[in-house]
Amino acid sequence: MSFLRLLSRNRLALAGLVVMALVVVLALITPLLPLADPDVTNTADRFKRPLGDAGLLGTDHLGRDLLSRLLWGTRLSLAVGVAAALIAATIGAAIGIVAGFYGGRTDNIIMRGVDMLMAFPYILLALAIVAALGPGLLNALIAVAAVNIPFFARNIRGVTVSIAHKEFVDAARLSGMGDVRIIVTEVLPNVIPVIVIAMSTTIGWMILETAGLSFLGLGSQPPQADLGSMLGEARSALITNPHTSVVPGAMILVIVMAINLLGDGVRDALDPRLKSGALSRPMPATLVRRDSVPPQPRTEDEAILALRDLKTEFHVKNRVYKAVGGVDLHVRPGECLGIIGESGSGKSVTALSVMGLVASPPGVITGGAVYFEGQDLIGAPYETLRRLRGNRVAYIFQDPLATLHPLYTVGEQLIEAVRAHHPTSRDEARTHAIDLLKSVRIPNAETRIDSYPHELSGGMRQRVGIAMALANDPEVIIADEPTTALDVTVQAQILSLLDDLRRERGLAIVFITHDFGVVAQLCDRVAVMYAGRIVEEGPTAAILGAPAHPYTARLMACVPELGGGRRELAAIPGLPPVVDNLPQGCAFADRCHKATDACREGEVTLVPKGPDRAVRCIDPEIATEAAQ
Amino acid sequence: MAGYILKRLFSAIPVLLGISIIVFLIMAMIPGDPATAILGSYATPENVEKLNRDLGLDKPLVQRYFIWLGNMLQGDFGRSFSLNRAVLDEVMERFNATLILAGTSFVICSVLGVAAGVVSAARQYGLADKAITFAVLLGISIPSFFLGMMMILIFAVNLRWFPVSGMWPIYGARDLSALLSHLTLPASALAVVATGVIARLSRSAMLEVMRQDFIRTARAKGVHERSVIWRHALRAAMVSIIPVLGIQAGFVLSGAVYIEMVFQWPGVGRMLVDAILKRDILLVQGGVVFVAACYVMFNIAVDVAQGLLDPRIKT
Repeated sequence: MSFLRLLSRNRLALAGLVVMALVVVLALITPLLPLADPDVTNTADRFKRPLGDAGLLGTDHLGRDLLSRLLWGTRLSLAVGVAAALIAATIGAAIGIVAGFYGGRTDNIIMRGVDMLMAFPYILLALAIVAALGPGLLNALIAVAAVNIPFFARNIRGVTVSIAHKEFVDAARLSGMGDVRIIVTEVLPNVIPVIVIAMSTTIGWMILETAGLSFLGLGSQPPQADLGSMLGEARSALITNPHTSVVPGAMILVIVMAINLLGDGVRDALDPRLKSGALSRPMPATLVRRDSVPPQPRTEDEAILALRDLKTEFHVKNRVYKAVGGVDLHVRPGECLGIIGESGSGKSVTALSVMGLVASPPGVITGGAVYFEGQDLIGAPYETLRRLRGNRVAYIFQDPLATLHPLYTVGEQLIEAVRAHHPTSRDEARTHAIDLLKSVRIPNAETRIDSYPHELSGGMRQRVGIAMALANDPEVIIADEPTTALDVTVQAQILSLLDDLRRERGLAIVFITHDFGVVAQLCDRVAVMYAGRIVEEGPTAAILGAPAHPYTARLMACVPELGGGRRELAAIPGLPPVVDNLPQGCAFADRCHKATDACREGEVTLVPKGPDRAVRCIDPEIATEAAQ
Repeated sequence: MAGYILKRLFSAIPVLLGISIIVFLIMAMIPGDPATAILGSYATPENVEKLNRDLGLDKPLVQRYFIWLGNMLQGDFGRSFSLNRAVLDEVMERFNATLILAGTSFVICSVLGVAAGVVSAARQYGLADKAITFAVLLGISIPSFFLGMMMILIFAVNLRWFPVSGMWPIYGARDLSALLSHLTLPASALAVVATGVIARLSRSAMLEVMRQDFIRTARAKGVHERSVIWRHALRAAMVSIIPVLGIQAGFVLSGAVYIEMVFQWPGVGRMLVDAILKRDILLVQGGVVFVAACYVMFNIAVDVAQGLLDPRIKT
């Protein structure tokens, strides 16, 4: 049902369906219509123009009524195309199911044969078959069907292989069912949708192909005529009487186009990936739709980068996910700010929003401001953002295998990073790239520069990622879980590297992580995020020593203590709330052991608590309890 | 790399043998007696028997196959009775013309198709995307032979921009400009369908790639959006576009048969159709095997190109 609904929502597919239905109905009722005999020649009335005295569409070179011939020809073309599709689908599916179900040597031999058939340009095979069987409509039909069998066989085999190893097939086998019964009752029902898709995409093609063979004079023989042979016969009079060519040609076009529209609709409706709209590409910069005046920067922070009440949402169909729900953050030159939280807390989205790198669609920045050196970047023109990206504010991402381009060498990617902002010669940029690799302590930088990312180890790749971020001596580096994918020893090396770079170059670093150990090692200040908001913020030592928010305390209790065993490892019960439906009041209330009714009423605000600290809780932990 | 090419060339041998077996078996299915077909129904039994012996048709099937294969390997594809000429000479000459037509078409559809797909993906849901999507739908739905006829009508007959048909002018110099003016219409007509298919697949390949993390990295580096699309995204998308180009080359070669008929192009497709109608089996057999073998070789070239393009493929 939902399939039909999806199909009906697709207006183009619906148009295709209507046109196709019309053509099919016309073809079906052709014998009942009061038409002239399509084969009666009347050479006195040859080449009459359409809309004249000789019928709606005029007459052809033998004076036969074109309308009648068109309808009878359509009938024949449709019948032949559908028959060819059915034959190809049946035989191809049978071959594919046998190959996929039995596997092993059977599969091997069959698929080798299929590969050989597919090695031909398809029409050569069709021509060879027609050559052997002789010209004629039935032989053309056989040829077109035969040529398409490998296509079906290969598709169906793929699906069958995946089904043949499913539990329900094993269960059927164990229950003593024979192979034939398993194929018919268990495999076939699962394969049929694939057959339908394959047919819907090829049937137009087969109509075209049989028409093509007829056009060449190898299909239907006179006086019988399908659309192809009508066109073929009209060709000699193309210049003097084009209407005899246009009529059948336009009909083929209409039929094939309608089938293609319908086929696309069927495929889209059955392909779940397209249903969710996942196949949309992110735009160069995140969409901005602010409906309120952005807040002013606070000069007393002396920040190089400051986020003020930043709001980023994901709009997926009718749902709105508030990934970032009003975040205030700032980082000073030479300072390292840690952002910590569980997956889905909005920390990465916050970081990506700064330079408009949140994928959009579906991401939308709906409010707030990001001040870099006092300039608001939210809603800034693309070119402004581009000039800052990688130049003044650089990113290091989590998984360097996915984030480096797999088909360019490390050197090419570094050189590009340099040249995106500094127009230097390739040689100069290359020297600079080698220096960069050395600065992140990559041994043999001169040779490694010509490696592809897949030729390097994980730690090396992340060093390349860091080198790329350093390429233009940025003021701010935003590191989005740069060590999460690495093992512990490499992680320690990368962290100390970042720490050194920060001290040497006076970099401001925003470091996103879910790991308190990393925060303790690297960060001056830390902000704890939960459900898209900051719940606690302050100097690292102070927060680690005495967390004020219950969530921070619980999060820290999750970290195992080395050589300890003095305290119990405690997971936080429950899951973070889904951000499209946030509860009233404190978002953590449902998982908090000391939540009261007061927590669930009204807005809980971030209130200052002591020097440089703030907490979003109406009943903060007391220092002694948290220290344990 | 040389080892990889050699390996791929060796892997072609069973495919080529398979092709020869398939063609041979299809031709062996011919109902009736080829000698009778050649000599006509008024031939005397003695003559039929003699021709059968001359053609080697009195021997068993397997033996006949190996004789045929052995002859082909020595460059002897037999003699066409309808043209009274060595099959290989005729096929090579005709294939040359087909190659000019199909090769030009292939270049057109590859360049235009990929470009249209990239633009379409980069401007997803925009006006350009909608226009291209519609044009593509029209392109893949129109029969190339009908399109060719309409092009003749419009551009050759009415506008007189190009000659109506043929490969060379009947009188006058056979130079490049003459060839190009004769080539333009058929090559364009032939390219339309493949352009549509390639544009469609390039668009989805691009959309797939543009969601990858390394595109975000390129943007985070401050690379200009133009480079992000044409350098980063397209390069990665080419990995899945190249095999499609290989497949489409087969379709272009196939479609050439129709276009050669419409435009009276002296190619191998027209030769095959004529040979079928005249029941000149040896010519059909030789032509099909020759063209299929060339296509297999072309696909190896595509594989090698793929290996050059993607350093992750072990070569």
